[in-house]
Amino acid sequence: MSPLFHHRWRQRTSLLALGALAGDEAAAAQAHAEGCPACAEDLARLRRTLELAALDPLRRAEPPLGMPALLARVNACLDAAAETKAGQAWRTGWLVPAGALAAGLTAFFMFRPASTPRAPATPVIVAERPVAVPEEMLGRMERSVTREQTARYLDEAQDLLLTVTAPRPCARQTRRVDVGQEAERSRDLLARRAMLVGTGGEDVASVRPVLRDVEYVLREVASLPSCARERDLQAIQREVSRRNLLMKIDLMTRELKG
Amino acid sequence: MGRLARGDREALAPLMERHHRRLYRLALSYLRDPDEALDAVQEVFVKAYQNAARWDGGAEVGPWLTRIAVNHSIDRYRRGRRRLAAETPLDEESGDHDPRLSADAPSPERRLLGREVGERIASALRGLPERQREVFVLRHYDEMTLEDIARTLELSLGTVKSSLHRAVHRMRERLEGLR
Repeated sequence: MSPLFHHRWRQRTSLLALGALAGDEAAAAQAHAEGCPACAEDLARLRRTLELAALDPLRRAEPPLGMPALLARVNACLDAAAETKAGQAWRTGWLVPAGALAAGLTAFFMFRPASTPRAPATPVIVAERPVAVPEEMLGRMERSVTREQTARYLDEAQDLLLTVTAPRPCARQTRRVDVGQEAERSRDLLARRAMLVGTGGEDVASVRPVLRDVEYVLREVASLPSCARERDLQAIQREVSRRNLLMKIDLMTRELKG
Repeated sequence: MGRLARGDREALAPLMERHHRRLYRLALSYLRDPDEALDAVQEVFVKAYQNAARWDGGAEVGPWLTRIAVNHSIDRYRRGRRRLAAETPLDEESGDHDPRLSADAPSPERRLLGREVGERIASALRGLPERQREVFVLRHYDEMTLEDIARTLELSLGTVKSSLHRAVHRMRERLEGLR
C-alpha cells in the first residue's frame, strides 16, 4: 500500500474513532481497519484517547446561572449599551452647536471695530469643525465610572452580607428567620453585577475573584425563601467567613476607590 | 430571529433557552473557567441581538451563534492568556475546579481522574494550533457533524477532516500515559 493511500485511511480511521463517519464511509473504514494491523492499532489507541477525553467534567457542565438570571444579565447589558449610545448621541449633539458658538464668538472678537476698547482676554475655544472628545479620554471616563460602580456594588453587597449575619425571627414560622428583604436585595445586586461585566469587565480584572465570591454568596441568599431555615443561613455565614469575604471586600473597595 | 431583528427583546428568551447550554459548554471548553464562559455566553446573546438585523434570513441560527461564540471565546482566551502570563499559569487555575462543573456526583476516584483529565485536556488543547482547536472543540464538545463544522467555520470539508485528524493525533500524544 502506498504511503499516500495509507495516509488517507489513517485520516478516515481518526474520523471513525471520533464517530464522525456514517453509513458506507464508516463501514469501509471499519473494514479497512480490520484488515490493516497498523490502522487497527491506531483506531484502538485513538478510541482510548477519546474515551479518556470524554471524562472531561466540562463536557457535562451546566451553566452556573439559570436561564432567567442569564436573560436578566443580557437585558441589563443591552440597557447599559443603549444608555451609553444615547449618552454619546447627546454629547455629539451638544458639541456641534458648542463648536459653532465658539467659532462665532471668535469671529466676533476678531472682526469687531478697532475703536472699541478691547475687553480683557477671554479664553475662547476656536473650533472650525465640530469638536470631538478623544476616544482615549472617553475610555478613561468609562473606566473610572466602571470602577466607581464596582466599588459601590461591593459596598452594598458588604452591607447586605452584614445584615444577613443578624437576621430577624420569622413571624410566620418558628425556628425560621426572615430574609425576604435580603433575598430581594440580592437579586437586585445580581442584576447590577451583570452591567459591570458588560461595560468594562477588563477594567476590574483584579477584583474579579472577589466579584465571583460575592456573586456566589448573593446567589445563595437570593435563592432563600422569605422564611428561611436557620441552618441554611448559618451555612451562608460560614461560607462568608471561610472566604474572608468581608475583609476582601474592604480591601478591594479601597483599591477601586484609589 | 426575525423578531429579534425588529428589536423585539421578548424573542431573546426562546433563543437563549434553545442555545445557552450548548454555547456555555463550548465557551467553557475554550476558557476552562465557569464565570468567564458565562460572561462569554452573555456577550454572544448581546451581540446576537445587536447584530440581528445583519443576520442572513436564510441561514440557520445555530451555526451563526456558534461562530460568534467561537470568536468571542478565542478573543477572551487570548486576553486571559496575556493576563495569566503575568499572573497564574492556567494549569494552576484549572486545578481548582468548581464543584458546579460536574453534573452528577461521581465517586471521589472518578472525580480525581476527571480533574486530572480536565487539566491535561486543557493543556493539550492549548498546545493545538487555533484551527485544529476549533474543529476539535466543535466535534468533541458540541458533537457537530463535519458538514456543520465546515459551514460554521467557513472551511472546506477536506480542511475540516484533515484538521480534525491532526488534532486528534496530537491530543492522543498528549493524553497517552494518563491511564
